[in-house]
Amino acid sequence: MGVDSGWACRPGNVDHYSCPMNVVEAIDLRRTYRTTTGSFRRRSLEVEAVRGVSFSIAEGELFGLLGPNGAGKTTTIKMLITLLIPTSGEARVLGRDVVQDARWVRERIGYVFGGERGLYERLSAFDNLRYFAELYGVEPKRQRPRIDELLELVGLRGREQERVEGYSRGMRQRLHIARGLLHDPPVVFLDEPTIGVDPVGARELRATIASLTDAGKTVLLTTHYMFEADALCDRIAVIANGEIVAQGTPQELKAGVADGSVVEVEVFGVEERSLELVRGLAGVRAVAVEDRDQKQLLVVQTEPGLELTHAILSQLDGVSVGRVSSREPTLEDAYVALVTAA
Amino acid sequence: MTSARIFLIGGLISYRALFGWLSPWVFIPSLLVAPIFQILLFVYIGRSAALESDEFYVIGNGIQYASIPCVFAMTNIIAGERFQQTLGSILVTPAPRLPLFVGRALPVVLNGFFVAAFGLVVGGLVVGIHVPATAIAPLVLVTAVSALSCTGLGLLSAGLGLIVRETAVLSNVLFGILLVCTGANVPLDALPDWLRMVAQGMPFTHGIEAARLVADGASAGDVAGLVGREALIGAIYAVAGYLLIHVLERHSRRHGTLERA
Amino acid sequence: MMRRTARLLWVGWLVHLKMLMRSAFNFWLGVVYPLFFASAAFLMFRSGDDPKPLLYASLGAAVMGIWGATSTSAGAALARERWLGTLELLVTAPAHFALILLPVTIAMATIGVYSMVATLIWGRLVFGIELHVADSLAFALAVPATVASIGALGFLLAVAFVRFRQAWALGNMLEYPVWLVSGFLVPLALFPDWVRPISWALAPTWGIGAIRGAALGGAPFGDIALALLLGGVYTAAGILLLERALRAARVKASLALS
Repeated sequence: MGVDSGWACRPGNVDHYSCPMNVVEAIDLRRTYRTTTGSFRRRSLEVEAVRGVSFSIAEGELFGLLGPNGAGKTTTIKMLITLLIPTSGEARVLGRDVVQDARWVRERIGYVFGGERGLYERLSAFDNLRYFAELYGVEPKRQRPRIDELLELVGLRGREQERVEGYSRGMRQRLHIARGLLHDPPVVFLDEPTIGVDPVGARELRATIASLTDAGKTVLLTTHYMFEADALCDRIAVIANGEIVAQGTPQELKAGVADGSVVEVEVFGVEERSLELVRGLAGVRAVAVEDRDQKQLLVVQTEPGLELTHAILSQLDGVSVGRVSSREPTLEDAYVALVTAA
Repeated sequence: MTSARIFLIGGLISYRALFGWLSPWVFIPSLLVAPIFQILLFVYIGRSAALESDEFYVIGNGIQYASIPCVFAMTNIIAGERFQQTLGSILVTPAPRLPLFVGRALPVVLNGFFVAAFGLVVGGLVVGIHVPATAIAPLVLVTAVSALSCTGLGLLSAGLGLIVRETAVLSNVLFGILLVCTGANVPLDALPDWLRMVAQGMPFTHGIEAARLVADGASAGDVAGLVGREALIGAIYAVAGYLLIHVLERHSRRHGTLERA
Repeated sequence: MMRRTARLLWVGWLVHLKMLMRSAFNFWLGVVYPLFFASAAFLMFRSGDDPKPLLYASLGAAVMGIWGATSTSAGAALARERWLGTLELLVTAPAHFALILLPVTIAMATIGVYSMVATLIWGRLVFGIELHVADSLAFALAVPATVASIGALGFLLAVAFVRFRQAWALGNMLEYPVWLVSGFLVPLALFPDWVRPISWALAPTWGIGAIRGAALGGAPFGDIALALLLGGVYTAAGILLLERALRAARVKASLALS
């Protein structure tokens, strides 16, 4: 079914290409874009979207690439799936270079992205799958059973004859996943697969994604939902501004901030000057500001064992202050600290 | 904003907003190259049919092609707003409607005039037509009035575009009608009677006839009647279009049908 | 391998044809628009003295729609996929991209057959133009050959315009010139000599020649062969251009969804 998996490093399998310990490898990947601005006097700007990203994913791992919008997640994934050629650096999937052996790699990867697009609206889900099955080289005899299997897996059985234009976001997403798995690829790349999906639908999608590694597949997932990465991923790389700022298991990342505490101060309009003063306090690790309707929430991460509430408030002299509380840090704080520091 | 400003500035900005993507890669092929080939196409059909002179087809098609900006652009200006879903926001403003829409029409008329003039000049050169120097000024006038009058039709089409779902089909059908029923290519006496009557009510019919007479040596005064009729027809379409939009706007406020793309 | 290729082309063609047929816009525009031009031409020829040009034009007018349907959509074929968000999926599929794109443009040309039928019926009902097909077999071969070769020309256009976002405008621009120079409505003899090689290089010229020959009694098989040969040439040229264009797109990231 699908494509030969003779690459696998399993006992008894001999493959004359290198037996990769790592299914996906990114080695100092860089990607620069040239854009032009202005209509009359065109100036070209160079934007470095990815600046030296390196990571590797072992077989059967669910690896998360976590970062805010514009961090370079999508660009990174596009390089890995052979859509973009890196400006420098190397990327390997199953031991093969994604630029030199693009076709070989394409036969063995699945690509799923979030959002409304990427499907033929005027066709039924079944027709969409049939078309892509042909494009991905699924044997004619296997196409029908495979499509049925996948419809069952993603919970679209019974609705496959309806046109995609009538599908909800969640249904489209599920169809995307089905499409990405048609040729039973050993490696699956998911680019923000739950974006814009309602909570219930998203939960089901995550369950499906988790089941992929259960089935032995290797998965790279990009997301900006921190809790999603925490819940699903074996390992996470946090990416911001085109660079990886932290890598590790969710536990390891949390441990980075597990000691220490967080002081939250409600403020009504705070200036950068005051923030700088707070940042400058001894024992303060990071300061972030979140907007909440009419007010803002100042989130201050502090070293363990220190009581800094008083010191912080004194630096906010002249600023209207509301509630003050302190709590344990969460993975989200770690994430915010990493991402805002970059 | 005073009416005059709404007229001028609103018109220009909206035109650029909707056609800001109009790069030379679109403008030149669609509005400059295509009309020359349409002229050539019908010049050769004309030679094969051996009915009229080359000049007949150059003038007919040169002017007829102004319908691309005048009808398509005008329709898009309203229907395009609906597509971009900005129509609702615009109609909510207190700006008086007449200068608003008429202001949008001005760049369209200029565009139509320019396209027709280009077609006539370049088409004429390519095919080898000679027009007396005295004919230039009257031709400019006739062409301008024709562009104006067709834009009137464009305004009506824009109104219809609010009802019809596929506005591009509507615009193309109007283009086709203007191709067949204005004497642009088929001499009016070759049309069946009922079509000839339709032709009398279309923009371009009188303008094209006037242009042909002028090219053959008639003076502006000689064709004043035709030009007047052309302008009148355009005005009637413009008024009809304006009223239609007005009525539809009222209707949509009651029934919420405006944004249905 | 051959079977896989054939299947890919067949499935791709069916799928895209299905989608095109479900688009009211494409459908009506593709059928109605050429009818106006045909009508103008018929009215012009009818009032002339000679009946031959009218008959000559009626078959050509019928085929105008096949070219119209292709030229106006093919250039933007990739832009359409980009807009749908499917372009990335097509490019990252293991199948050769040419085999994915070619059926798309052939499907576009196939829609033109509706226009052909409509124009022939229109010509018969409104203008009384009788059409008797002298050689049915040749006619049955000439039409698909014309569709396929025009589809291949569309493929070349689609590839040539892959770098241009405004490709639809460039494709539109080619509608008239081919109608003119392929001799759809007027015999090639009317054109200056230097136009002749341009006409010969265009598959539609041979396609319409074959269809006319089959209907009016000529020797169409040579024309059919030439149309198909040219179709092959366009496809080969398109494939070569495609390799370069795709590589450039991957380097410059111009395949990004706009």
